[in-house]
Amino acid sequence: MKEASIIVCRCEEVTLEQIRETISKQGCSARETKLRTRAGMGICGGRTCRPLLDRLTAPPEGESASEFPLKVQPPVRPMSFAEWGHSS
Amino acid sequence: MNTNCDLIVVGAGPAGLAAACSAAQAGLKVLLLDEFMKPGGRLLGQLHQEPGGAWWNGIREAQLLVLGAQEAGAVIETGVSVTGLERTRDNGWTLWTNQGRYRSPYVLLATGAAESANPLPGWTLPGVMSIGAAQVMTNVQRVRVGKRGVVIGMNVLAMAIVSELRLAGIDLAAIVLPPGNALSGSSSDPEAVLESLVRFADLAPNAMLKYGAKLLQSSMTRNIALNLYPKQGIRMMGVPLQLRRCAIEIVGRDAVEGVLVADVTPRGEPIAGSERFMEADFVCIAGGLYPLAELAAVAGCPFRYVPELGGHVPVHGENMQTPVPGLYVAGNITGVESAKVAIAQGRVAGLSIAFSAAAENAPDEAEIKDAMKQVKRIRQEALIQFHPDIARSRAKLYQTETV
Repeated sequence: MKEASIIVCRCEEVTLEQIRETISKQGCSARETKLRTRAGMGICGGRTCRPLLDRLTAPPEGESASEFPLKVQPPVRPMSFAEWGHSS
Repeated sequence: MNTNCDLIVVGAGPAGLAAACSAAQAGLKVLLLDEFMKPGGRLLGQLHQEPGGAWWNGIREAQLLVLGAQEAGAVIETGVSVTGLERTRDNGWTLWTNQGRYRSPYVLLATGAAESANPLPGWTLPGVMSIGAAQVMTNVQRVRVGKRGVVIGMNVLAMAIVSELRLAGIDLAAIVLPPGNALSGSSSDPEAVLESLVRFADLAPNAMLKYGAKLLQSSMTRNIALNLYPKQGIRMMGVPLQLRRCAIEIVGRDAVEGVLVADVTPRGEPIAGSERFMEADFVCIAGGLYPLAELAAVAGCPFRYVPELGGHVPVHGENMQTPVPGLYVAGNITGVESAKVAIAQGRVAGLSIAFSAAAENAPDEAEIKDAMKQVKRIRQEALIQFHPDIARSRAKLYQTETV
């Protein structure tokens, strides 16, 4: 009961229960889980919950374990549009 | 755009500083970038006593490395966050940062490790932090974390930082296990935790752990020890290490007011009716470390999943070169180990890059081989063994990956 209410993604306030339900209902990958729940899509860019999402959705073992389940994309740090514009 | 260098090192921690020094000594123009306001990386937080009695003062070590790198001619810029990197047509790299773009033919990623979260109910309350954050507040910012804290999680990093917090006079009510849940893995299993505690018994100024270490190497004696383990814990630096108690929930209205804990069976299951409230105004979550490799992923470097090294690590050879031309890695991005190993790896990376770039005073192959041997020697002597199979899993990685 308590376990289900644990917040996994702090930025978007997505709970363990929401993530598990999405995975069991949709049978989805880490990426699809992210898109459906918004876990990992907040201001921090998933820096805290990415490994947790990977853990919840990862296939048990195997070759795919060598790849990052969730793709990493730039910018890898939160930054303002002003900074982003300045840098490109 | 800054284009005036041969090598950009990302991360001015032990590995990055050592690499910048050896590459600059070999004649390369080196620029070292770090997102923190001062160089040193995680060294800045480290303070512990070595088995011989000498103190390892990370701030002092960082100063020496900074001095060495600067004297060799490396330039250090702090407050610069690298947010992306991309290959240019002439086989070099463009780095995007919060301070504009940089270009360089060679890039060394020495971005270190990040802390893993270990969520439990209430972990988003103000006053809850990772144990590394408590270390930075205490040893770098010199700000008192709080009046009385509870540490949730028992691992090498937690024990090292608990002893630092105690040296700073910070009161800790207890170190307890995290609750077992879908995210906790073996970190909530008393036997697995006891087995790992044995590995850094030297760090624990506690007779039972120190002299009991040998005894506790078999599963049978570990089980006996767990069954006999006192509920109130065994004191380490004055803090009860409660191997038979776990946190259930962090409690508070607007901020941490305490932690609800429960006794657990030797297998880690909470015992009904044993719950009690432990008063505290801050909580440190110790979830361990994993290699921080986002930039290697963005650069298109392949990865291997190696649990002994802390998770996904960029593929690299013993000379710190990745399969991506012009891209090197050193330090904890290649696997979680002590700062001394990171320094030795940094030296290897700096020399390898100077060799590959045919720098003015480039080392010969023998010199690089020597530096690689030094890494192995230091790893063997390391006080803090993050994982018992580091050497073996590295040998396997370097055997299969001929870069």
